[in-house]
Amino acid sequence: MAHITINQYLQQLVESVENRDGLFCSELLSFKHPHVANPRLQLQSPEEKCQQVLEPPYDEMVAAHLRCTYAVANHDFVEAYKFQTLVVQSFLRAFQSHKEENWALPIMFAVTLDLRIFANNAEQQQMKKGKGHPGEMLEKAAEQLMSCFRVCASDNRAGIEDSKKWGMMFLSNQLFKIYFKINKLHLCKPLIRAIDSSNLKNDYSPAQKVTYKYYVGRKAMFDGDFKPAEEFLSFSFHHCHRSSQKNKRMILIYLLPVKMLLGHMPTPQLLRKYDLLQFADVTKAVSEGNLLLLNESLSKHESFFIRCGIFLILEKLKIITYRNLFKRVYLLLRTHQLPLDAFLVSLRMMKVEDVDVDEVQCILANLIYMGHIKGYISHQHQKLVVSKQNPFPPLSSIC
Amino acid sequence: MNRPRAPRRISHAQRLAAPSEANWRQKTNNPWQGEDVAGVNAENQDHKQHDEETAPRGICQTMCPARELQDREAKRRLHRFEMLPGTEKVQRPKADPLRAVKEYSRPAAGKDSTNPANLRPPAVLLITVCYLIDDIAASPDLHPWTEVYSFVFDRLRGVKQDMIIQRVSGAECVAVLEKTVRFLIYASYRLCGEPLRLYDPCINDTHLQEYLSWLLKLYTKDTEPHPNQEEFQALALLYNLGSPPAMRHVINLPDGLRSSPSVTLAMSINRAFLERNPVRLLRLADRLSFLQACALHRHLAACRRDLLLIYSHGYSSRNSRFPLSKLGQLLSLSTTATSELCQEFGVELLQDAQVVFSKAAFTEAEQRQVTCKLYHSIVSDKQRDLTVKNIVHGCGIEFK
Repeated sequence: MAHITINQYLQQLVESVENRDGLFCSELLSFKHPHVANPRLQLQSPEEKCQQVLEPPYDEMVAAHLRCTYAVANHDFVEAYKFQTLVVQSFLRAFQSHKEENWALPIMFAVTLDLRIFANNAEQQQMKKGKGHPGEMLEKAAEQLMSCFRVCASDNRAGIEDSKKWGMMFLSNQLFKIYFKINKLHLCKPLIRAIDSSNLKNDYSPAQKVTYKYYVGRKAMFDGDFKPAEEFLSFSFHHCHRSSQKNKRMILIYLLPVKMLLGHMPTPQLLRKYDLLQFADVTKAVSEGNLLLLNESLSKHESFFIRCGIFLILEKLKIITYRNLFKRVYLLLRTHQLPLDAFLVSLRMMKVEDVDVDEVQCILANLIYMGHIKGYISHQHQKLVVSKQNPFPPLSSIC
Repeated sequence: MNRPRAPRRISHAQRLAAPSEANWRQKTNNPWQGEDVAGVNAENQDHKQHDEETAPRGICQTMCPARELQDREAKRRLHRFEMLPGTEKVQRPKADPLRAVKEYSRPAAGKDSTNPANLRPPAVLLITVCYLIDDIAASPDLHPWTEVYSFVFDRLRGVKQDMIIQRVSGAECVAVLEKTVRFLIYASYRLCGEPLRLYDPCINDTHLQEYLSWLLKLYTKDTEPHPNQEEFQALALLYNLGSPPAMRHVINLPDGLRSSPSVTLAMSINRAFLERNPVRLLRLADRLSFLQACALHRHLAACRRDLLLIYSHGYSSRNSRFPLSKLGQLLSLSTTATSELCQEFGVELLQDAQVVFSKAAFTEAEQRQVTCKLYHSIVSDKQRDLTVKNIVHGCGIEFK
């Protein structure tokens, strides 16, 4: 396969199209397949050859693919990206002419995946030369993917087996990757809505569903919807293939903060297993009510947390940390009428900046309002009076 | 999200969120726009040149193109701020070429908006903006200020349109946007509580978000330093307190910028807001400059409501009393204003200036917009001798 001639290659393509063998055809157009390393196929101007053998628009698609292999062989990703765009465009023309059939879906998966990867590489190459703006090429690639998505989503005539709608989840996953990268999360919403309203949403392949739920979970998390975020990310974590440790780690980076906000702390073993020890001190600080350690560990790993986009979420753990700290004060004093000064002392121990008793009252009032403490504050006596039963209800019962 | 929804009729309403607006603009600015990617030479430099060649370049050297001046004079569509003094009362008022400013006109099919004779180059646009601020917005003789606002708002929108059509960027564009943002932030405070037909906070907000996101985009794109960047990064966060995109933006700023005093302060205020700690928030707000306080102003009502809400729960006990004066101090309000606020939210007041909190009694206030003005002291106290001119030109920042 790796050393076939251009004629043999084109012949195989013709056959795969004639037999509607989408899978085989997709291999012949994918950069995951070894043929792309075959120097006999890396041609600078294969147009004529392709025209002789293939019908339009396939000839254009294959010619662009071969020129793309040539560009990749020369490490010119800007050029490769340009030709891959052409591949996708001519593919789309062919795809649209396939009425009530979807055999070409595997081809779409292959060519759109490569498009995104090349856009990414091209952009990095450009940035190194000090050209272009970040996100520029990825955004262009997203537009191409969107036009594929539209074709798939609007395929209402075909029956379920032949529907192009089966391509929607793959494309939205690719688009999510881009939108998260260029920080345009609001663009995810229409995709999620389209998938949600589709009757196929539970029948896509597990792999696609794992990716999909991972991104939808992250999106929910950024919007502050932690309950659904936990659901999506947990699904993703539990259904992710056990051999994909790297992916499981990526899911955990988002699942951990959400779980922690809902009161579930990860074990040290889990953190060690997935090489996520950055979370170890954060976990320890939150469960001990150690505000000082929380602030320290957040600033120590700040760049990691910011890069992952979870810094702001982890800051929310402060409220739970206050709760745990104040619970310790309660456990130490062993009374139901706690002087406010005791809390002030505990906050000063944690080096909270210019805090005074007014602010202590405010923090306590908020904890009571949120249901973290059962009781009330007495301003006259400067005391927190807590319930005799269960004054600090378990976190899982509240969030 | 604290960003209110825009009314449908606004053209970009669906893309209201600030980043998406920027996205749309970037497309307008994008040198690749409208070309077949495959047929394009990949050299970026070429596109830039190409872009500059195709973008229309204005040659109009006055604030208002001669054509529009005549036209509006003939149709008696001059604003009274644009009329030649002394002719206001005559049947067909004359235009004052020194005071007329190109108005905003909606793009429509068949309208040639790219005619260079009708477009003002960046330098003229900046002069126009300065005129609008110095001679209109800051004028002690023009009344009422709602009319001043609607005139300046419209003419600034015209300036923006000229910039978009010419695909302007660079120092002049930044200066125009900075002044516009300051003006709109100031207006959002000064006109708070005006009847809806005179001032619509929602429309003001939509436009302010557009200008802001464009400005922030320019900061990241241009390589030259921007002396006011720190100020506007802080303003953007204070104005969009608690909004996830605004927070993500700040957290990803370069370290030097993020650790600058005003951005740090804005971040602390944002944190207090997220932790629902109004006591700390209002205390920190004390350290803000006047304009920063104006940007924060739209969140103050929610912040004070939060305080009454959580205190209604925290101090909910039959015999518990809270001194009114103490509550006023926490809210940064006078005792009179504090008792008004308590009444709005159903919080009980006793004869001896004591407050009784009860979670059952707390009720959400209605028509908060109307009464917000009663509680403006925290902002207005900072204005002192700052004039509109100082504020919009950015000379008031050192008053901390």
